[in-house]
Amino acid sequence: MASRANRIRPIRRPIMNREVSEFEPCWDLLRDALVDIHTKNAGRLSFEQLYRASYKIVLRKKGELLYERVKGFEEDWFRQHIMPSIAGLVTNNIVNMTLLQHAGTSASERRQTGERFLRGIRDAWEDHNMSMNMVADILMYLDRSYTVESKRPSIFAATIGLFRDHILRDTVPSVAEQLQRDFMVFDILNTVIVDLINMERDGDIVDRNLIRKITSMLEDLYETDEEIENQKLYLRVFEPCYLEASRQYYRNECEKLLREADASTWLRHAQQRLKEEQDRCGTTISILTVNKVAGVVEDKLVKARLSDFLAMEGSGLKVMIDNDRLEDLAILYQLLSRVDGTMAPLKHALQGRVMDLGLVIEKTVRNMDFSVNGAGSGQADADEAADGIDKSKIQPLTAAAQQTAAAIKWVDEVLQLKDKFDNFWSNCFNKDLVLQSAVTKSFSDFINAFNRSSEYVSLFIDDNIKRGAKVKTDAEIDVVLDKAIVLLRYLSDRDLFERYYQKHLARRLLHNKSEIDTEKDMVSRMKSEMGNHFTIKFEGMFKDMELSRDLGENYRDHIRQLGDVDTKKVDLGIHVLTTNNWPPEVMGRGDGGRVDCIYPPAIKRLQDSFFKFYLKDRSGRVLTWVSSAGSADIKCTFPKIAGKESGPLSKERRYELNVPTYGMIILMLFNDIDEDESLSFGEIQGKTSIPPLDLVRVLASLSIAPKAKVLLKHPASKSVKPTDKFSYNTQFVSKTIKIKAPTISSINKVEGDEERKETEKKNDETRAHIVDAAIVRIMKQRKTLSHTKLTTEVITQLQARFKPDVSLIKRRVEELLYREYLERVDGEPATYQYMA
Amino acid sequence: MATNSDGARNTKYVTMISGDGFEFVVLREACLLSPTIKGMLRGSFSEAKTGRCVFPEITGPVLEKVVEYLYYYHKNVNVPYVPDMEIPVELCLVLLEAADYFQLDKQMT
Repeated sequence: MASRANRIRPIRRPIMNREVSEFEPCWDLLRDALVDIHTKNAGRLSFEQLYRASYKIVLRKKGELLYERVKGFEEDWFRQHIMPSIAGLVTNNIVNMTLLQHAGTSASERRQTGERFLRGIRDAWEDHNMSMNMVADILMYLDRSYTVESKRPSIFAATIGLFRDHILRDTVPSVAEQLQRDFMVFDILNTVIVDLINMERDGDIVDRNLIRKITSMLEDLYETDEEIENQKLYLRVFEPCYLEASRQYYRNECEKLLREADASTWLRHAQQRLKEEQDRCGTTISILTVNKVAGVVEDKLVKARLSDFLAMEGSGLKVMIDNDRLEDLAILYQLLSRVDGTMAPLKHALQGRVMDLGLVIEKTVRNMDFSVNGAGSGQADADEAADGIDKSKIQPLTAAAQQTAAAIKWVDEVLQLKDKFDNFWSNCFNKDLVLQSAVTKSFSDFINAFNRSSEYVSLFIDDNIKRGAKVKTDAEIDVVLDKAIVLLRYLSDRDLFERYYQKHLARRLLHNKSEIDTEKDMVSRMKSEMGNHFTIKFEGMFKDMELSRDLGENYRDHIRQLGDVDTKKVDLGIHVLTTNNWPPEVMGRGDGGRVDCIYPPAIKRLQDSFFKFYLKDRSGRVLTWVSSAGSADIKCTFPKIAGKESGPLSKERRYELNVPTYGMIILMLFNDIDEDESLSFGEIQGKTSIPPLDLVRVLASLSIAPKAKVLLKHPASKSVKPTDKFSYNTQFVSKTIKIKAPTISSINKVEGDEERKETEKKNDETRAHIVDAAIVRIMKQRKTLSHTKLTTEVITQLQARFKPDVSLIKRRVEELLYREYLERVDGEPATYQYMA
Repeated sequence: MATNSDGARNTKYVTMISGDGFEFVVLREACLLSPTIKGMLRGSFSEAKTGRCVFPEITGPVLEKVVEYLYYYHKNVNVPYVPDMEIPVELCLVLLEAADYFQLDKQMT
């Protein structure tokens, strides 16, 4: 052990004992090695020897001297060996091309010259970089102790920086003199790269690797030897220059596109450019620039002339929307979402387009002549949605039916428009919520701007439920109803819609025009969409129908048990309707009181019998017979006509005739008179008390329409006048056994202007009550409230049902003041107080 | 950095030779712990070409201990609670000096 311990000294001593004079031999060794490294002869050198040499110098505190010597050596080497070759690269050609911006050289010439220059720079850099790495390795110990202690840049940073100071930031004196101005090699370098990139943008093929080498060199060099991360020459010098050039390039390109191309080309081009620039950053420039250069393209190529491109005639946004250019729109959306999160231009354009197209629909529907076959052909998109109308176009339509066709057409078109924008939204706009709400708002705006939308939507549902049962499958109906609900969502006057729907539903139910399941399905959809209160009446109507069916069966059972002989002749199907649930028109409450007509005795007995049965379980109720809403099946016999030996008239004919209740009453009158007797209009009216309007209608259907002409009118003309006389048509013949007398009242159609005013008036009355109730409710709770606040609260409360007019609210408030529900507060203008 | 296609460049082992002629064949991966040896082996100097590193001013016993340490570190680099390596007292001083030379003194993190 002791002998080993002695060995400590022999090693230390030789190192420490060699004196300061050893610096020079060590440095000589190192200097020779540096030369060898530069001349690529390092293979014969021993790293250990050189490392040890520098190690010893440093140990003897001669680090600073070594540092200076190495730096000095490298500077000398640079000056003597590298700079001349670089100066050789700065030829007249390249100076003309870059600093003087001389035109006239061809692109390929410029490219070759530029690439030659870059190659020279690259080679010099690669040599230098490699050498400096090796130098830094053998001087590792210097960096580790001396450089750290003295806080100087590492020897690598100091020597690699020479390239920056003596090449990039240096000038070539002879050329500078010739040009009479200062320049840096860096300027040439930047211009060459930018020029090459622009050539590539124009479609040339350039040496990407070469450029990438140069840019990565710039990434490795810093402004100073401190090598601060954000002071890379690439970021500080090259990148701004590159971005500026890109800006210039794309500004020009954008102007050129605006002059020469259309919006569609522009979109694709911009998208392509963005991708190219991204790729270019990966392969040619530097990934550091990727976002910045994308920003430049977005700014100059997309944003700068955005509105000009979108407004382009024949290819702008309008055309994209109208012609369903999904791809264009998708690209547009992608580009816009890069430049502007709010999507303002697209949003406004879409909204405008929705409004315009909505108004176009309204206008076409209004101007369209539905009575002529193929009326829709003038319109570009008259397609399968209109086939319902085509079917009815086979015959010239009545004015009312035309109106109805118009309504359905309108809804169809609106739904198509909605589909179109939904399609854009889900396929092109990435289901963007901002755009969705914007488009929804526009839809709602134009739908509500059209004053018949509530009625039309209800008619549309009516038509589809009625026709749907025959023509369409359940799934198809499902789709249509879904769409109807979509439209319903847009309507703001929901109370008006409710009124129309109630009316239409009532007719469908009473005349058995629809599948009850479909009806219930529709109403339950409305319920989930609009809330319970909206569908209370509709559900009440369904319930009435169900109860009535049971009631009818029970009544029949009851009669059977009684064994009443007389009732065998008349079978009663009854609908007992709760007054509030059903529309006043149906209930005969419409125009100032009901007129009770006089029923034939047979019917009268039946009524009494039923009423008695009904009251057995429900005493105290009142039943009112609504003769205007019913219908009757009559079996009638037309006797053989004397003298006719062949043909249908030679036999006795039995028919089942389906007529409105009024028709039945009238026909039964003729049972009581002789074949050749006639009744005048006045007589019929006197005997039945049927209101004149209804009487005219029923008589017309029984005496004019050939299908059910069981009465003869004198004189025979196309309309019924109060002076006409009617008699039994003994010669009546029909091909079918069951005949339905054509009726007008059971078709749901668009209202005439008169009717419409009527509906609106009624609706306004209802609204007035609702507003009253709302005001009282609010005031009861708040006691005192200003007019403005009251108005706001009323509007908020009623929004789900309709949008109350401010003037309406004001009128109602005045009314309530007058009726002393409210009073004004003294001294405070426009403030009300609730009076208990 | 220039690539050198010498056969010794990527061999699994390198040879370390002391001033008094002891040769140690060491796993290259373990050697690279020392920045000095790492620099030696990555450039285009003769050591990198031949895979033989001569240390004329370091004796066999010291180099042996250095190599032992390189392996010790290599083996235990991710192991918690490693027993101390045994260092003979008489080698302490000279090993400190060698650690400085191999730049192994500031590596421990």
